[in-house]
Amino acid sequence: MKILLVEDNERVTQFVIKGLQEAGHTTDHAANGRDGMFLAASEPYDVIIMDRMLPGDIDGLAIIEVLRKAGKRTPILILSALSEVDDRIRGLRSGGDDYLTKPFAFGELLARIDALHRRAEGVDHEIPLTVGDLHMDPLTRKVTRGDRPITLQPREFKLLEYLMRHAGQVVTRTMLLENVWDYHFDPQTNVVDVHISKLRQKIDAEFERPLLKTVRNAGYTVTASD
Amino acid sequence: MIRSSALSLALGYVALGLTALVLFAAPLWYAWQVTIQDGRAEILQADAQRLTDIYKRDGADAVKTFIDTRVSMQIAGERILLLTDASMHPLAGNLRAWPATVPQTPGNYTIQVNVGPHGDQEALVHVAMLGNYNLLVGRDNALFKPLQTRFWYGLSAAVAVLCIAGLLVGLITRRALMSRVHSIRQTVSAIIHGDLKHRLPTHLSDDELNTLSRTINGMLDQIELLVHGVRNVSNSIAHDLRTPLAELRSRLEELSLIRPSTEETYAEIDGAVADVDRVIRIFDALLRLAEIDAGMRRSGFVSLDVSDLAANAVEFYEPAAELKNIDLKIRSNGPLPVSADPVLLAQALSNLIDNALKYAPQGGSIEVAVQRRDDLRAEIAVSDNGPGIDDAEKAKVMQRFYRGDASRGTPGVGLGLSLVQAVAKLHGSALELLDNGPGLRVVLSVPIDASSASQREAPPQAAPASDVVAPTTLASLP
Repeated sequence: MKILLVEDNERVTQFVIKGLQEAGHTTDHAANGRDGMFLAASEPYDVIIMDRMLPGDIDGLAIIEVLRKAGKRTPILILSALSEVDDRIRGLRSGGDDYLTKPFAFGELLARIDALHRRAEGVDHEIPLTVGDLHMDPLTRKVTRGDRPITLQPREFKLLEYLMRHAGQVVTRTMLLENVWDYHFDPQTNVVDVHISKLRQKIDAEFERPLLKTVRNAGYTVTASD
Repeated sequence: MIRSSALSLALGYVALGLTALVLFAAPLWYAWQVTIQDGRAEILQADAQRLTDIYKRDGADAVKTFIDTRVSMQIAGERILLLTDASMHPLAGNLRAWPATVPQTPGNYTIQVNVGPHGDQEALVHVAMLGNYNLLVGRDNALFKPLQTRFWYGLSAAVAVLCIAGLLVGLITRRALMSRVHSIRQTVSAIIHGDLKHRLPTHLSDDELNTLSRTINGMLDQIELLVHGVRNVSNSIAHDLRTPLAELRSRLEELSLIRPSTEETYAEIDGAVADVDRVIRIFDALLRLAEIDAGMRRSGFVSLDVSDLAANAVEFYEPAAELKNIDLKIRSNGPLPVSADPVLLAQALSNLIDNALKYAPQGGSIEVAVQRRDDLRAEIAVSDNGPGIDDAEKAKVMQRFYRGDASRGTPGVGLGLSLVQAVAKLHGSALELLDNGPGLRVVLSVPIDASSASQREAPPQAAPASDVVAPTTLASLP
């Protein structure tokens, strides 16, 4: 993926660029609003990571608004130290696709970028999903592993569907909370883990190769490869 | 003193009154003068005409006799008559000589003459020529003097009353105003010096100052709440962040001093990251609390089905309850639309269920009940059969960072119930901690959405879609 990072803090920049590099992405960097606007408007990027508060007279939200008005649909993740709900809503209204408050875990950033990229590629909600020998048909709501049918509760189905749509990607607990349960707060307990282990019981327990894996310090992933 | 607004207002009114008085009196005075002058001039002319007629008919001597008769009959001073020959020698009349200021040409003149007891008097005279004789007829104005004087006295009195009353009213108003302004100023300066408890004095009336005072008091309430919130938060931060930060610091310092093997170093770094996450978690919880306290979330109120929200929360915790073999169930009577903040209400309910799960014993039971109350509120109650809370401890558990003896050793930062309390308050309800005999029963209520209460069939509005409300950032990592 080709990613543009618009961020003025050197430490954060180094940290993000290095992490993205290790994940196999190329990153351009702009340290102020003017350069950021120029790069974002002239180069094709898969995802833009935009800091909200930038030195100079152009801030992140202004860049996003200009880009959107110019018809650029590049997915944008807003990075900000402002965490209040109203700030988030303002950020997303200006045309951002996701909002991450500082400080953040790198795993969270990476997972969200992947999800944004995938979303931008378009999701067909009717096409059956397949990971290894696990199949899911979103239309008939049938799930099978090999030739064995698996019965899931509606929420379990939603959880598995989200994981399978992001197959091969890391999905964080926060992303699951937001997208599966629509919970925009931190429940302070490991309830998501309990749900995952229940799901794992149903799809992995009686099979040799586990598909639902825990990624240390990040979250979960559904993948057929090891 | 002139700078006093009440006084200058009063002075303004006085000036306005005076102007009105002048505008009223001046034309009146003018009209009066003209009417009197004209009327008298006509009478004098008629007098002169009569004498002219006598002269024409009977000659100068008859005029002389007539004048003498008139003068002798007259009350002295009212009428002035004088007949002179061509050389201005007086022939008849009550003036000793032709007045120096009156020319020998026919017309009307105003002069000062001394007839009668009052000394010099103003008089209007008419001059006519009877052949070679000069005739002067006149009347003094003494008759009108008292009327004139009374007019001027009346006018002066009106002016005086106006000025004094205006000044007095101005001073009294100023005094009343100053005393109220003074008390406001005292209150405000007490507030400036940091005592936010003070409020401006208000009365029952609805005058301007009172309305202003009430508005300011409302503002002060809000400011006090905010300051209180900030103070609370900073106290809590100072108090509670110290521990994890101290741990983090010693961990890193030890790492730097001992320089253990790579493997161990990584483990320590992971531990440090977890420490930082804990700090961030506390920060986020505090910020959210402060946000709710400040009432800034009221904009997030939407119509939602509280039964659905509760059912989702119960479903969310179901697997966790199963792990502890706890019977977690919901009791509700179908959709119940309320006006509430979906994110906060879900968080509050999740905190309550989470708490109940922590304290309910293995194999215990938890019930989440949603029901419509008669006072147009929906009641949400979470009951467990755990140890419950002593009456003595009930007030304390809602304090920030307070953790009861029973909770030591369980995860959490001690902000759960204070957050629920803040959410309840935002929705206009108190948080009740009741005895479930045994166990705890926590009750809060939210207002029923009156607009959609009638249309029960309407699909319940769940929390906004994930594109609209942003994610929480906290990476809840193990």
